[in-house]
Amino acid sequence: MIQKTINKELKELLRDGRVRISLFIVLLLLGVAVWISSRQYQHNNRDYAAAKLSERAVWEGQGEKNPHSAAHYGTYAFKPKYPLSLIDQGVDKYIGTSIFLEAHKRNEAQFSAATDQTGLARFGDLTPDFILLFIIPLLIVLLGYNAFTKERELGTHSLLKSAGAKGWKIVLGKWTALFLPILTLTAVLLLLAGLLLSNLTDYGVFQWSSLAVMGLVYLLYYAVFTNLVLWVSHWAKRSGISLVISLSLWIVACLAAPKAASNIAEARHPYPTRQEFAANVIKDKDAGLDGHNPWSKQAKLLEEQVLKEYGVDSLQQLPFNFNAYLAQKGEEHEAEVYFKHYNYLKEQYENQSGTYRSLALLSPFLPARFLSMAIARTDYTTHWDFSDAAENYRIATQKFLNNNTAQNTTYGESGYKASAEFWQELPQFDYQPPALGQILANNRSNLTILGIWALFSFGLLFFTAKKI
Amino acid sequence: MFRYNFKYESILLFRGRWIQVLNGLLILLFGFATYNGQQKTQKRKADIATINAEIQASDQNILKLLDSVEQGLQVNTRPWTVPNTPMAIGNYHPRVASKPPSDLSFLATGQSDMFTHFVKPTVSGDDLALNFSEMTSPVQLLFGSFDVAFVIIFLLPLLIIAFSYDVLSSERESGSLRLLAAQPISLYKWLMQKLALRFFWVVVITTVTVLLVFVANQVPVANNFSTILSFLAISLGYALFWFALAFAVNLWAESSAKNAVALLGLWVLFVLLIPSILNQLGSTLYPIPSRALMINEMRTIKAEATERQDDILDNYLRDHPEYAVNDTTQKRSFWHSYMASQNLVKKELEPVLLTYENQLQKQQQLLDNFTWLSPAIVVQGSMNQLADNGSESYEGYRNQVIAFAAEWRDHFLPMLYNNQAFSSEDYAGLPKFTYTPINNQSQSSVLLILLCSVSVVLGVGALRFYVSSAEKHSII
Repeated sequence: MIQKTINKELKELLRDGRVRISLFIVLLLLGVAVWISSRQYQHNNRDYAAAKLSERAVWEGQGEKNPHSAAHYGTYAFKPKYPLSLIDQGVDKYIGTSIFLEAHKRNEAQFSAATDQTGLARFGDLTPDFILLFIIPLLIVLLGYNAFTKERELGTHSLLKSAGAKGWKIVLGKWTALFLPILTLTAVLLLLAGLLLSNLTDYGVFQWSSLAVMGLVYLLYYAVFTNLVLWVSHWAKRSGISLVISLSLWIVACLAAPKAASNIAEARHPYPTRQEFAANVIKDKDAGLDGHNPWSKQAKLLEEQVLKEYGVDSLQQLPFNFNAYLAQKGEEHEAEVYFKHYNYLKEQYENQSGTYRSLALLSPFLPARFLSMAIARTDYTTHWDFSDAAENYRIATQKFLNNNTAQNTTYGESGYKASAEFWQELPQFDYQPPALGQILANNRSNLTILGIWALFSFGLLFFTAKKI
Repeated sequence: MFRYNFKYESILLFRGRWIQVLNGLLILLFGFATYNGQQKTQKRKADIATINAEIQASDQNILKLLDSVEQGLQVNTRPWTVPNTPMAIGNYHPRVASKPPSDLSFLATGQSDMFTHFVKPTVSGDDLALNFSEMTSPVQLLFGSFDVAFVIIFLLPLLIIAFSYDVLSSERESGSLRLLAAQPISLYKWLMQKLALRFFWVVVITTVTVLLVFVANQVPVANNFSTILSFLAISLGYALFWFALAFAVNLWAESSAKNAVALLGLWVLFVLLIPSILNQLGSTLYPIPSRALMINEMRTIKAEATERQDDILDNYLRDHPEYAVNDTTQKRSFWHSYMASQNLVKKELEPVLLTYENQLQKQQQLLDNFTWLSPAIVVQGSMNQLADNGSESYEGYRNQVIAFAAEWRDHFLPMLYNNQAFSSEDYAGLPKFTYTPINNQSQSSVLLILLCSVSVVLGVGALRFYVSSAEKHSII
């Protein structure tokens, strides 16, 4: 019975001109989206490699210079693109890709792509994730809204009943017939992307396991939609009503809930404005040690403490240059201030995530969205990870430079210049994104919510569909 | 016939709860969107008020410090921030250049969540260092805002589709169409009347709901009457477009289900696909050069400038003899050479920055040429404009700030090179920034585009009558 239902439904779907056209359009769009994204991906990676190389050359070619001048001159950390960004661009468009690393200051990533685009960019891009997250669920609605209502409208409903068909068997048959084309479509796309990515060996580390997990997330997401659409079709009286209800579900889940969630999250846990943030940082910085001001109260305190520690009574007797030591201590204080304020931002974002999670009960789109970009390493958490790594590198760089001054100069000496070769000794910035296991562990709650959605919708469909 | 049609359809719409449901939904959607938007506007106003108050307090402090310095007293602040030098004022006591929200800012979030609303340009900072992007969670930018524009552009068409996709086909399916065909009215007219009636109710309900919701959310309606009127006109013009589509699809397609699928397909096409395809086309045809590479270029120019700082200062003074002549003490500080080389860096970077602006302008040009392809784009653009939150508004603001930054710099340069001190008398002469919204282009062209699309779509629908005789199936 199940097999027969599947065969019949699939045949019917394939014979329907509308279905053929919509499948064809979705495939075409997917193809175009993958092609455009892969071009952009390669382009971005080329620019990234060139920028990184050139920046390092600028750093190494500074010539003889005072290390602290070099610290102010600074260097840049560039964010690479990861292979799966080909499928899901996530929030990459709204995040800067380069961080300026300089003395005394933690800078935010600059130059996001969205600020360099026209207002139209806010409508969204033609990328694979747009099709995977929005269009395919809509396709499920269009393919499945009349799965049961048509039986009633054509009168085949009573025929089925008289044949003694079991309710769950028909439901399972129809479910499989609806899910099969979607499964094929998704599998083809992901396989295509996988093959494309494994051929681009020069850049990033592509893992089939990440791609497979991503595929599973999408399939789970589609299963939820399939269940809901079939359930609605089972209960609705007419095809038209079924379509309107399923469509409303899609609108709420994919369009309205994310926007409403973003507004609620912002209203409840707002970020400070950029100027406020900067002002707060300055206030905290001023309250502590200033590496450029040896006359401040904090500097005097540090002086006494160091003198006591080394058992000497003047700064000249110290085995290192106290001014450079002071600079390093000031640097550490500033790093702490930034740590505190950026942690506040992170906390606010964590709170906002809580809002998103609670609204995910209204929308299976939200957990799928977050999981997909997390696995693609294009989510906000990955960006935080990168930004923290860049900050650690900045702190290490400052220490490296201040230590050089402290060891090579004496107290009161000025005009010291490090040799031209010295800059090469600074280790390069090397960033590794979090591994798949780590990402899944971080997203446990999203996985759970999506799982609950799947279980709940399966339950809804099969328990209520016992009788036809 | 028109009177009967109107009366009985209205009764049917009421009894079918169509009007009540539409009313309830619109109140809910507009209410939530307006409330959200107003909250954002309030926060923005409060932020600007806070920063202005801070500046006022710090200005009082400056005047006090200046007074002490002028009386020869010792002041207890860090030496380089004592406000009696032009560079101290220019760098540590900048003015706020803010972009206050317009009264109707809540209509469309536009780019306002991405860009900042106030910056403080300093003398030493170059224009590139002015960061105009706001600190927002990128997830928020990705999802967008539930604003009034979203309700109108995305949701209103879906409501219209849901209530008009089967106007003709349901009559055909229930068999009443044949009865109607026997009446002395042309099918075209009858269908027009039916949809016109629905449109009439949408107009009434939307207008009343919008006005009620606005008043409930303390929008100053009376002061912005004409803007709200153009907002309503554009929204209803957009609604009319979707009714026209429903009309055409009802005539061309056969069953209710086919109508619904076709209308939804068109919705996806106009609202989701055309905008994203156009955007993609723009950035593929006129790609913005890599910002990472721009950084490299900027760094090289700056490094070269630092090396030649002394030469640059000499050249600069040669170009600006007015500074060199008046300088009696010939004292040179860090700032003298810094400002001179900054000027040079700025000049050398100009062509680099221009490529970005040019590419963006080309993208915008392309979009402007094809915007008529989707009424959704047209309406979004015009809502952003009415709210003063669109890309052009922020570009205008950016240009005004950059002009102000130059004014601020130029105000202090003569003082710097003439080694003049800043005194309390100079305080009153400090440049001030006021934001002037860029002149809103008239909304009538938007309405014209909408009405043209409406007539094209109606024409396509009417064509059905000319081909029907040739085909097997007649409309009935």
